[in-house]
Amino acid sequence: MTVKTTVVGCGAVAQRLYRKPLKRLEQQGILRVTGLVDRHLPHAEALRPFFPLARAFDNPEEAFKAGQSDLTLVLSPVRFHSEHTLLALRHKNHVLCEKPMATTEAECAEMIAAAREMGRVLAVGMIRRFFPSFAQLREWVVRGELGEIRSFSYREGKVFDWDVKSPAGFLPGGGAGLLFDIGSHVIDLLIWLFGVPDVLSYADDALGGVESNVLMELEAPGVSGSVQLSWDFPLSNELRVVGSKGEAVLRVDRSDKLAIKKASRFHEVPAHYAYPADACSPCRRMIVPRLHTQSIYCQLIQVARAIRLGVPPAVGGETGKECVRVIESARRRARPIDMPWLDPGQREAYQALHWTNN
Amino acid sequence: MVATTIIGAGGFVGTRLVESLVLGGETDVRAVVRAYRSFAGLSRFGPAVTVRVADAESPASLAPALRGSSVAINLTTGPPASIIRTTKAIVEACAAAKVGRLIHLSSAVVYGEVTSPSIDDDSPPLRRHWMPYARAKAASEIWLRGRASAAGCQVAVLRPGIVWGVRSPHTAAAAGAILAKTAYLVGGGKGIFNSIYIDNLIDCIRACRGHRGDATGFYNVADREVVTWRDFYAALAAPLGCDVGRLPDVPAGRFPWSARALLDYVMSLPPACGLYHRLKSRLPDAVKAALKASLAGRYNYEGAASGYATKPTVERELWSLQRVRYKLPTAKFARRFGYTPAVTFEEGVRRTLGWLTFLGRTPSRDLSPGDRAPR
Repeated sequence: MTVKTTVVGCGAVAQRLYRKPLKRLEQQGILRVTGLVDRHLPHAEALRPFFPLARAFDNPEEAFKAGQSDLTLVLSPVRFHSEHTLLALRHKNHVLCEKPMATTEAECAEMIAAAREMGRVLAVGMIRRFFPSFAQLREWVVRGELGEIRSFSYREGKVFDWDVKSPAGFLPGGGAGLLFDIGSHVIDLLIWLFGVPDVLSYADDALGGVESNVLMELEAPGVSGSVQLSWDFPLSNELRVVGSKGEAVLRVDRSDKLAIKKASRFHEVPAHYAYPADACSPCRRMIVPRLHTQSIYCQLIQVARAIRLGVPPAVGGETGKECVRVIESARRRARPIDMPWLDPGQREAYQALHWTNN
Repeated sequence: MVATTIIGAGGFVGTRLVESLVLGGETDVRAVVRAYRSFAGLSRFGPAVTVRVADAESPASLAPALRGSSVAINLTTGPPASIIRTTKAIVEACAAAKVGRLIHLSSAVVYGEVTSPSIDDDSPPLRRHWMPYARAKAASEIWLRGRASAAGCQVAVLRPGIVWGVRSPHTAAAAGAILAKTAYLVGGGKGIFNSIYIDNLIDCIRACRGHRGDATGFYNVADREVVTWRDFYAALAAPLGCDVGRLPDVPAGRFPWSARALLDYVMSLPPACGLYHRLKSRLPDAVKAALKASLAGRYNYEGAASGYATKPTVERELWSLQRVRYKLPTAKFARRFGYTPAVTFEEGVRRTLGWLTFLGRTPSRDLSPGDRAPR
């Protein structure tokens, strides 16, 4: 059975991350793109040459009325995730919704209930779960290679260089900003590694707009740590996990290896974690993804397996909801980040203008 | 308040200028950027800042963004080949939009290694410099000099040296090299660190923007003190766990060519640079990822390095900058705009270290209690 697929949201994520894996899955007969939807029609049209059997639309309702599709990929801006997912579910589509699942926990709950009611798969796109190094680290944590986990510190930041096609991710309103963007990846990773964390503290730098720097302290069962994220400062781009028997370092930009420290020395370890590459049962082919597009490919395969074989997706609605709940919890604790490099007058103005004081 | 449009606001100077204006109480800051991605660093300011996307090489694209502004500030960066085109387009757009004053940021690099104490604000820039960026900046200055009177607006050209401090890519790279213990000094570090702390540059731009008289002219802008490269590295080195006395010394007499330096030089030549960008867009992702991984070198999982490099890889640009012989005079700017740099070198270092600590660039790499989010 070829899974007929509608893509809602044809911006940078669709064009740069999903196009190649979708094309490959079409060639393998696993999936066929039948609808391309974007409010800005030229974005949908830009993908049509790659999927000649697909029709382009400027609103999802028309796409669902026009054609039969089994699966909808919700790749639109976060503030539309809930609306587009609910619409797809009502049209009896399975859904893979890009991260984060929605802007509020309440929206997530509504999406989960709709999926349950319609008997459809609701998966959340968390590409990093398909990075071999991330999976390897989880295996170490679960197997106790590092002993009892005591602490972690996560830093990810650089000048934002993703070639987005619209400013949607930066405009104040639901789902915009650094915490929803990179933060949702990080929180999902922490949930995967240690369980759902509580937010002990949160600070950002938003002055009426959306934050571009974030500092958080979190505590999961038995482990606590810090997270620092930035859209405009270069950071080390590492996760360090310290256990009673050793320390591991995961580099965010390297999915093919990680390091473990035992007996006072770090050893670099290649990550060969493999994922299913077909929708057969039992699986006949596995691949080790090395590129982002390959990880997206594995994620799509897993959704196809969820639809065909009933295998649960890597991240389902409940886990997606937990991630959004942590984000909401963080924002309720928001304070201004301390900026000791500003002069005293500017520091005072910064405190006064911070969104939590207005 | 002076209605101001900042062109190229997404860079590190632009971001700090926008921040400074907003924290100063301005509520109508206009920013022009090349692409939506530059919204990331500017969107935290909310409605106080209007960000627009425009092509800085196209007067037709820029003019609507400049309309209604009294002052335009050109902070654009980009490939050397685009610098002169951008300069011309911005001047034309300012004329079309009837902007009263253009503040154009040039660079002290147009004077190369400043080999004479008699070089002043109105000395002609070097026409032949090995560095394409320096040649492009010089060409822009020469073009502006010829057009200043006919531009239809006042054109003030500010010429900073190295802009250092918070958010500076130069400072981040220097700190990175110090931490990795791959930093080096040229000629004993006696060369002049021809520089300006970021907040002093912002103050210069603001002084020029608010000046009531004619601002037209070419002005060197710099910090108050005469600082050597050794002073600069020494100020950062100790807090970063490095002994500046153990940094290797590279002779200043003749550039020590290496394979890497040769590659950098070839890449800076327009044909090679063009070919590189064409190849970059056509190479398969897997090949690009493999190349990137192979060029990245060994990663230091410990954080700070333990041993000092004995034979560091010397970059030609840094080697040249460390050979600067004289501090450029700044009296002309001080006289015209009544300006004295507010941030001393010592204070700039303090602020910079605060920023580096925030980034986790201290040897412990852990967030210190002062950085932690308040509970």
